Amino acid sequence: MEFDVERTALLKALQSIIGVVERRQTLPILANILLDAREQRLAITATDLEVEIQAHAQAELSQAGETTLPARKLMDIVRNLPEHADIHVSTSHDRIALQLPHSRFTLATLPTKDFPTVEEIGQTQDLELTQSHLRWLIDRTGFAMALQDVRYYLNGLLLELEPYCLRAVATDGHRLALAEVVTELPLTETKQVIVPRKGIQELLRLLTDSDEPLRLELGDNHIRVTWPEVRFTTKLLDGQFPSYQRVIPKQNGGCLQVERHTLRQALIRAAILSNEHLHGVRFILGGTSLRICSNNPAQEEAEEELTAAYDGEAFEIGFNASYLLDALAAIEESTVEIFLTNANSSALLRGAGNERCRYVVMPLRL
Amino acid sequence: MDAYYASVEQRDDPRLNGKPVIVAWGGTRSVVCAASYEARKFGVRSAMPAAQAERLCPQAIFVPPDFIRYKAVSRQIRAIFSRHTDLIEPLSLDEAYLDVTVNKQGLGSATEVAKAIRASIRNELSLTASAGVAANKFLAKIASDWHKPNGLLVVRPHQAAAFLTSLPVTRLPGVGKVTGKRLAQIGIATVGELRTAPLPVLECRFGQWGRRLHELSLGIDERPVVTQRPALQVSAEDTFESDLRLDELEPHIRRLSEKTWRSYRKQPTRVARTIVLKLKTAQFKTLTRSLTLPTPPATATDVADIACGLRARVDLSPGTLYRLVGVGLAGLIDAGQFTAQADLFAGNELL
Repeated sequence: MEFDVERTALLKALQSIIGVVERRQTLPILANILLDAREQRLAITATDLEVEIQAHAQAELSQAGETTLPARKLMDIVRNLPEHADIHVSTSHDRIALQLPHSRFTLATLPTKDFPTVEEIGQTQDLELTQSHLRWLIDRTGFAMALQDVRYYLNGLLLELEPYCLRAVATDGHRLALAEVVTELPLTETKQVIVPRKGIQELLRLLTDSDEPLRLELGDNHIRVTWPEVRFTTKLLDGQFPSYQRVIPKQNGGCLQVERHTLRQALIRAAILSNEHLHGVRFILGGTSLRICSNNPAQEEAEEELTAAYDGEAFEIGFNASYLLDALAAIEESTVEIFLTNANSSALLRGAGNERCRYVVMPLRL
Repeated sequence: MDAYYASVEQRDDPRLNGKPVIVAWGGTRSVVCAASYEARKFGVRSAMPAAQAERLCPQAIFVPPDFIRYKAVSRQIRAIFSRHTDLIEPLSLDEAYLDVTVNKQGLGSATEVAKAIRASIRNELSLTASAGVAANKFLAKIASDWHKPNGLLVVRPHQAAAFLTSLPVTRLPGVGKVTGKRLAQIGIATVGELRTAPLPVLECRFGQWGRRLHELSLGIDERPVVTQRPALQVSAEDTFESDLRLDELEPHIRRLSEKTWRSYRKQPTRVARTIVLKLKTAQFKTLTRSLTLPTPPATATDVADIACGLRARVDLSPGTLYRLVGVGLAGLIDAGQFTAQADLFAGNELL
């Protein structure tokens, strides 16, 4: 294998994949990346056996070939090279050499056949959407994923494909986030997959806000997301996601309408004097104002009063302020609607009139 | 208290007086619980393997620890403290912070209180204690170690900065080997050097901890003396006579889970959802694996099953040998707090 590559192009590709090269590998080969040079193009693959990322870079090819080499060492070398350097790369026996006018690095390689890759992911349902749409879906919902919950199927993001709709749902059992985008796919069946947390985080790192199209393939055991520079593949979580539709409250109680930014600031302040574990705040509803109160074990207290429109009965309800703040950060509209029934039932939050993004938060018994 | 367990042993058995005494369990893997000052002259230190202590000081007299007696003496010491103040924050059986801003005897200064307490401990209990008097907890703690044994050091507010300047940074609370090394990398070895480091540099390197380091270097410590600090975790651990493989640990994990469970149940108003498995390899590498459940575990068996299962998340090679295993319950909170958060899928078909 022999090729020339620009430092900037190589670094960009390495930065895309380095996140899945784990620091503490169980298998030595997982510290390596797979380098595949063919057709004037370099494909660089990294895997942690759950998530696989392949990034592409332009290269001036002299001789096609493939090998594996230590990822972090290569990354550190390339990162510290002068900005517009051209790197000449060649292999001989079990070594790979990086050559520049005034520098030369020789790294050890491991056989390509030992590097685990996922080429085929079986039968898939495919759709095309833009990078910004997929990113938007994850941004609106990913924060609600559980972290190391024994209900392992909650430690991921549900992607649900329906006729003309791609939906993302995440929940940790106390709150839930749902967002959907319109697609042009007239499906007859629905498909559900649960993408593990790690995969979602890596994918989010890769996605940009651009309108570049990408291809999303949903298989039985993997999903794959592909655009010209990147091919992202992750295993799926087994198990049945909870029937989330049942816990999204009907909008039959009162509706509280309040300015999102004002509510957010009030909650941030009130939370300072709330209990440090529960972040409990109390909403006192009635008339044209919303009062938010908090106190902590040291009997310190905060009280906030904001203007709000509310058409339901007067009552009090407690919430974990961080759950509300997470939802308010994901809502884009300047006015937020909160549907409430009573002190023991969940609240539904959404941007005014927006049916595409919904947030459910269970109350705290204060 | 000075060489506390060893001093209690020397007091109660005159034959040990003036001799090097080491309090430690028998067994090849035991560590030194306490060493008398006579033994410390030979380089024996607390937490050192007993075998090493024996090599350093072959003439030392080894005594197995008797915690029931140490606890009883500790209660007597605390009774002496409480003649002067109720604001007592115990750190261990033989160490406590006292806030004597207002003291019951109406003594004129904190120094007088310290002298009175040390005299009572000496006269009534025939033991010696060292004290540090300062405007805050961390200075008092460093001062108390200064003239050990049987010493007293008063650091007045205007002396604090000078007192700290030449100290190595590792004397600061929370600065151990790792932070010490990271500070050394930027040329900081003493508290005085830390004081001159620009705050943004420290914040950039250490985050919020950087601000705290900066405050400590100036002698600032706003932590109040807290009388009751509810436990945040309970755990039990054991070092084996000979190293074991991961798959041989189950009986030990089960036994330790029972032990942890017993101390957990002594505080019935507190609950924990996080189960921690701690391991130490034969090469002294410590690792922990933990799992947080949606609801607190119901029985010791649940804890044991999960702790055993956490072994699957240990990614060291299968041949690795372990010298220690521990089981803990972490993140203890008041039961009321836990039940407060309602569950979306409560009473549900999913669990």
